[in-house]
Amino acid sequence: MRLAVPVKAISQRFALPVLVFASVVMVVLGKADALLFERIRVVFADIASPALAVVSQPVAAVDRLVDRVQGAIALYSENDQLRQDNARLMQWQNVAQSLTVENARLRELLNLAPDPTVSFVSTRVIANSGGSFVRSVLVDAGSRDGLARGQAAMTGAGLAGRITEVGDRAARVLLLTDRNSHVPVAFDGSRERAVLAGDNSDRPQLLYLPEQSSVKIGDRIVSSGDGGVFPPGLPIGIVASIDDGVLRVEPYAELSRLDYLRIVNYGLSGVLPQPVMPRVVKSRGAAREPAP
Amino acid sequence: MRAIVTRRREWSVARFLPTVTILVFALLSVLPLRFPDYAAVAPLLALAGLYYWTIYRPDLVPPVAIFLCGVVLDLLSGAPLGVAALVFLLTRLVVMPQRRFFVDRLFPFVWGGFTLLAAGTIAFLWLLGSLLSGVVLDMRAATLQWVLTVACFPAIAYLLVRVQRSLLPSL
Repeated sequence: MRLAVPVKAISQRFALPVLVFASVVMVVLGKADALLFERIRVVFADIASPALAVVSQPVAAVDRLVDRVQGAIALYSENDQLRQDNARLMQWQNVAQSLTVENARLRELLNLAPDPTVSFVSTRVIANSGGSFVRSVLVDAGSRDGLARGQAAMTGAGLAGRITEVGDRAARVLLLTDRNSHVPVAFDGSRERAVLAGDNSDRPQLLYLPEQSSVKIGDRIVSSGDGGVFPPGLPIGIVASIDDGVLRVEPYAELSRLDYLRIVNYGLSGVLPQPVMPRVVKSRGAAREPAP
Repeated sequence: MRAIVTRRREWSVARFLPTVTILVFALLSVLPLRFPDYAAVAPLLALAGLYYWTIYRPDLVPPVAIFLCGVVLDLLSGAPLGVAALVFLLTRLVVMPQRRFFVDRLFPFVWGGFTLLAAGTIAFLWLLGSLLSGVVLDMRAATLQWVLTVACFPAIAYLLVRVQRSLLPSL
């Protein structure tokens, strides 16, 4: 601490400009190579996740309380609704069961390769970030729980995003609404293909639609399976608006208020950008085996 | 200045306190609150902390500490690394020459200063975000974020006054 006076004066004088310059360099380098700082991010997420898990606990508790109060108020009407839903779903369950059997029999007839084993991990969202730059969340599970890059993050309602950075006990999920998210999708009925691209707004856009497309508001969008990151058929959302040829999709998953996410390993490796660090490559390789 | 330096030696642990409070605010600002679209408009709590300390005890938040706080916030929020560090350092650069106008004034004056600072910061972030992503970002979200950030300032200042009075030697 006892620096000679001139040295101290010089360091005080130049610290600020040097650090400003360092920040600018970091921003530019990070922009040029998105994977450059990934190792630092991953290590930091691991270090910060216990703290985040603790401080987000009261938030979760308040949330539960609000849910409970709302639940108590809506008890009767909800019960009624659930009875009706239950009756309807029982019927669907019968249909699904008979279809599963029929599907298995037809696959046997066709000699189709069996679907890869699917495993999933349920995890809590511990940090949520936005602002002008990103739409991503941090979850408190990592490679030790079997998470790996590219795995799908789902809510009960549909696809929310995919894992982009994995540490030991924390991972970052890039949401569908982020500007860097591009998901190949298909329309449920017509099987027309498009790409769902986020732009940091609430509703991602549909790009590369065929010229003569019969898309209309309310059409269901599912993942198409192209690119091999997600399997085909994951529910994504519905076409919410068509403005000047710009189609926007309302995701089924409520991306602005996520609490738990199910990270699903479909055993796919896909065409995601290759990470620079060998360690992450290893963990991606491991992802091909189904998690225990 | 000399008096401050001697006091600082006596309170070696306490002198990290301002940095710690900024880090705590950074942590709080990424909490996953379940308000719809909260993440896009989350107030810049750490900026408020930094502004407070830069005015009242700039000797306790040197540029290196500010830089580290910014890097931590970037890592927490997943924003491009260096953005918050840059914004925080520029904040110091802008606020330091003005601090003598604020340091002995009444709270509304200090709050007014923060209103301007937050507007400048959020406009800068919006511009940088638009440049880095190549699209014009939503201005309404930025405006709402400004309002929330400014609205949070009195609470943050109150907390920090308490911290300063109880744990740091008198002003």
